[in-house]
Amino acid sequence: MSGRALRVGAPLSHSYRHIALRKLSRRSTISNAVFQQWVSRDARHNSTSAYQGMGGSPGSPNGGGGVDPVEVSHFNALASSWWDAQGPSRLLHLMNPMRIDFAKHCLSMGIPGEGTRAAGEGEGTGKEGKGLSRGLTVLDVGCGGGIFSESIARLPNTSKVIGLDPSEQVLGVARAHAKKDPTLAGKLQYVNSSIDEYTPDQQFDLITLFEVVEHVPYPAAFLQTCMRHVRPGGWIVLSTIARTWSSWMTTKLIAEDLLRIVPQGTHDWQKYINEPEMRSFFEKQPGWGSQGMLSMGCLYVPGLGWRAIKGSEDYGNYFFGVRRDL
Amino acid sequence: MAAPTSTSLARACTHCLRSRAPQLSRQSSQHLPSISNNRTFSVLHRPPPNYPGHVPLKLPERLFLAAGSAIMSFLDPRRGDLIALLGETTAQPYFIYRLRDTMLKHPTGRRILRDRPRITSQSLSLPYLRSLPSNTIGATYVSWLDREGVSPDTRSEVRYIDDAECAYVMQRYRECHDFYHAITGLPIVREGEIALKVFEYANTGLPMTGLSAFSTFTVKKEERDRLLSVYFPWAIRNGWKAESLLNVYWEEVLETDVQEMRDRLGIEVPPDLRKTRAEIRRKKREERGGKVKTVTASAPAATASDTTVETARVETEAEREEREQLEIERKAMEILEQADKM
Amino acid sequence: MQRSLLHLPIKRSAWAIRTSNVARIAAVRSFASEASPNPEIYDIVVVGGGPVGLTLAASLGAARATSHLKIALIEGMNLASIRDWNPTPDYFANRIVSLIPSTVKLLKETGVWKHIKQERVQSYDGMQVWDGMTDARVEFDWNKLLGGREEGIDTTIAHMVENIHLSHGLLQRLEELAVKPTMIDKTKVEKIEYGQMTEDVDMRDWPIVTLSNGQKLGARLLIGADGGNSPVRTFAGIESRGWDYDRHSMVATFKIEDDSAFPKFAYQRFLPSGPVAILPLPGNFANLAWSTTPEKVAHLKSLAPEDFVAMVNAAFRLSYTDIDYLHNLKSGVVEETKWRESVTKYPDPPTIPVRITEVLEGTRASFPLKMKHADRYIGERIALVGDAAHTIHPMAGQGLNAGVGDVYSLVKSIADGISHGQDIGSSFTLEPYQSERYLPNNALLGFVDKLHTLYGFESGPLVPLRSMGVEIINRDWFGLKRFLMSQAAKS
Repeated sequence: MSGRALRVGAPLSHSYRHIALRKLSRRSTISNAVFQQWVSRDARHNSTSAYQGMGGSPGSPNGGGGVDPVEVSHFNALASSWWDAQGPSRLLHLMNPMRIDFAKHCLSMGIPGEGTRAAGEGEGTGKEGKGLSRGLTVLDVGCGGGIFSESIARLPNTSKVIGLDPSEQVLGVARAHAKKDPTLAGKLQYVNSSIDEYTPDQQFDLITLFEVVEHVPYPAAFLQTCMRHVRPGGWIVLSTIARTWSSWMTTKLIAEDLLRIVPQGTHDWQKYINEPEMRSFFEKQPGWGSQGMLSMGCLYVPGLGWRAIKGSEDYGNYFFGVRRDL
Repeated sequence: MAAPTSTSLARACTHCLRSRAPQLSRQSSQHLPSISNNRTFSVLHRPPPNYPGHVPLKLPERLFLAAGSAIMSFLDPRRGDLIALLGETTAQPYFIYRLRDTMLKHPTGRRILRDRPRITSQSLSLPYLRSLPSNTIGATYVSWLDREGVSPDTRSEVRYIDDAECAYVMQRYRECHDFYHAITGLPIVREGEIALKVFEYANTGLPMTGLSAFSTFTVKKEERDRLLSVYFPWAIRNGWKAESLLNVYWEEVLETDVQEMRDRLGIEVPPDLRKTRAEIRRKKREERGGKVKTVTASAPAATASDTTVETARVETEAEREEREQLEIERKAMEILEQADKM
Repeated sequence: MQRSLLHLPIKRSAWAIRTSNVARIAAVRSFASEASPNPEIYDIVVVGGGPVGLTLAASLGAARATSHLKIALIEGMNLASIRDWNPTPDYFANRIVSLIPSTVKLLKETGVWKHIKQERVQSYDGMQVWDGMTDARVEFDWNKLLGGREEGIDTTIAHMVENIHLSHGLLQRLEELAVKPTMIDKTKVEKIEYGQMTEDVDMRDWPIVTLSNGQKLGARLLIGADGGNSPVRTFAGIESRGWDYDRHSMVATFKIEDDSAFPKFAYQRFLPSGPVAILPLPGNFANLAWSTTPEKVAHLKSLAPEDFVAMVNAAFRLSYTDIDYLHNLKSGVVEETKWRESVTKYPDPPTIPVRITEVLEGTRASFPLKMKHADRYIGERIALVGDAAHTIHPMAGQGLNAGVGDVYSLVKSIADGISHGQDIGSSFTLEPYQSERYLPNNALLGFVDKLHTLYGFESGPLVPLRSMGVEIINRDWFGLKRFLMSQAAKS
């Protein structure tokens, strides 16, 4: 499985990130101080503080996090094999059940219209979102081929899922695939737009940003744009990769410079955001996180698949969930 | 054609299969006979016999008896009782079962095992056999008995085979031995006996018959050469491909023509050993100008087939020794002559 | 012991296998232009209503995560005769299965076991297995092994149940379900093809099953529980590799002598032509499973009942040489075996089975033995279970147990897929099923196949070697016996 990922996963940023994960074994010995904080980087680009950049800034004309055209073309190239679970996107497919589990876990702590419960209380009982007689609404930002969008849409308590992606080509794949399952019709829609340009007529119970923030130029602004679309009591759930010595080794040095399985420069390692940085960002957002903020590190173990491992959020991939206060 | 034959040789061969003194009369026994209580080894802690006469052996005993009888019978081939003992102690655990299975697989063999016929002077009417045409199996068989002056009753009883049915197989093999002489035409001289044993080994797989091939070392070189070059190849080839002789219900084929039976079983007639030997002896006699006296104790013509009609001669023990001594001297002279020429 | 190779009465020639390319070309036309009605969409269509197919339907219906699924089960035969099965205590069917504890556990969990009439189930704690050539023997007897100690181990090796009894219980369970599967019996699968694409839906990777009654079923997931010659497997283009053993298994039900003095054991003697087994049934009944050459099976079937009975008794007592010879007899087996048994030493019961006294009329039957293993158990919207995935030599009695193991694993994968919002037809969802079952099944098939080969030798170096191995196992050196027995219970 790992060998396959290495071979066929060449053009896929997700894949080599996962390869990176497997190589991770040790905490970075390089001081974090060596690197710029992502917030200050954001601030540099936006010429204003990330926290204040939501109202529009020179670096992001639409006032949001922006879309990197290089990234878009990159994912276009992947479109055809997106749904081949044996192909380059395999690690992404394997990770999807964990995304669902993490999102369910977050929702089990509380949803719009009800207070916070102990984590895991309602989990696995099929009662997630019980408080919502209208059903859960979800915005999947950067939905790609729709792996997560489809699966969250199939859950019985979900009433509406919007998959958002700036690449029309990728969305074409997503739409074509959704047609294969008649039960998705009416529940799942794909919208070709960046979050900055997206103007929904309502807020969402859940906004998901899986493997997205490391690909946007201005993550703080991007996140703040997303936050506006979350209904009070709703959640932002995201996953990304930490900026560590080991992720640099695997994604930059090995994948780009040594093996050249991806073009040099594909990754901007400095865009990676560490879990404490993410946490401190949300802690500073008024009206967020007081009723729920959690993270979960995960590792890809060859032969076993993805495993949630406590403390591994400091090494590589991690999930992060934060609730908007009611 | 008169050819002298060694009485003692013949007797020695006969002894391969018969104990000198039949210990038990088998007048009434249609099953295996009762007992021997004069054995020298302990019967303490011995398991009960599986059939009358059975002496269960422990493995060390079996090994000891097998080794002892092998050595002793090699040293003195006339000890038929030892050869019989060797036969029994080496046939287990595997070989006799295999032989039994060979019989079980064959309708006739199976019938024999079911009937368990015994070959005795009671079960076979010798006068009737003598009245049969000379080319029949019965007549050939009885002519051997008559020449050797033995009766079918002079065979030792099987004691050391543990399974009753296998003991019968051993008994049957033993009792039918003279029929094998009849069917192969091999005479009861030592050389013929060895050849027949090898034939039996290829045919039955009983280890004792194979071990008997070692006695090739005890015969004269000229005989040994003949065995190795002519009779062993014949014996192995025929013993192997012929049907198992244990599956012949001899009692039912007494009136059958010998050659017909051979064809049925797939046995080729071996080169006539008796003739060959007679020829050689005649030549030798001529060479020495008839120096050797032979007493021709005549025996009825033994017919292995229509084509081979011959006379067996018997010489006394003393005469045989004298003749052999002369032969050795003559050989020594020949060797000296050869050496001179070189 | 799985005796029923599922035979769906589907003629191979009736199969129009269309490749996906053909289907895609055809897909240009819309459904509306088709003369036949649109397919009714099901979450799961199970082809095959044998014990494995029924267990699958019952398990899906009983598990909370999958109980809401819309399921159809297609069976060619009339299920009413199984539903209406009304047994009498003096008759047992010839097709019986041996259910190992893990299988019974699953049947309990799915609520099937309570429908099984316990008075018609015979469990056993011990097995006597021996070599027909050397008599080397393994006794698998928990009671003896534990020496009376209680270790909290379920000492049952297996439960013998008639096939029809199990199927009957499964049907009863299906009747109780809140969401009952659609049972379509007396109906053959005429055709399986891929669906088509319209403006709204793209069903080009959905199997559409056309039935002999004209009905069309669209399957999100099509499951082949349709036996060794699985039409579903053929449709999916999955190769199944293996070979015929050139052996048939002869089955029959007997009355036996009173065996109440002895524990109930299963007996198996390995003859070079194949193993012969007597399996316990309640009361004075027992069942035969004799694997041997087709010619010998034909002979056994042709014998008069008393000769057949004598033959089976002989198979556990006489030497292989004798048994082989007896196969040549057209009659007179009774007399022949009487003589042979009088001169052959063999152990007494319970080391060997008590004598059988009578063969129940009409219970003599046979079927050919095969070893076959599908390359894959899954495809896009396809899964294979039971004999459709693997056909095993019945000597170890693991055929149905392996099939039930498949069912358990597949239901788990489907339930997991549902809870994670996956398309239950996607091969990605089904992957865990395949990876969980393929290697264990392959090992089991290989093991049984090697046993068959090993015990096929009449002579040669392997005969003493296999007996030595058996001796080592029987003495429980290195705890081997205990290990084997607990593995057999789990499987």
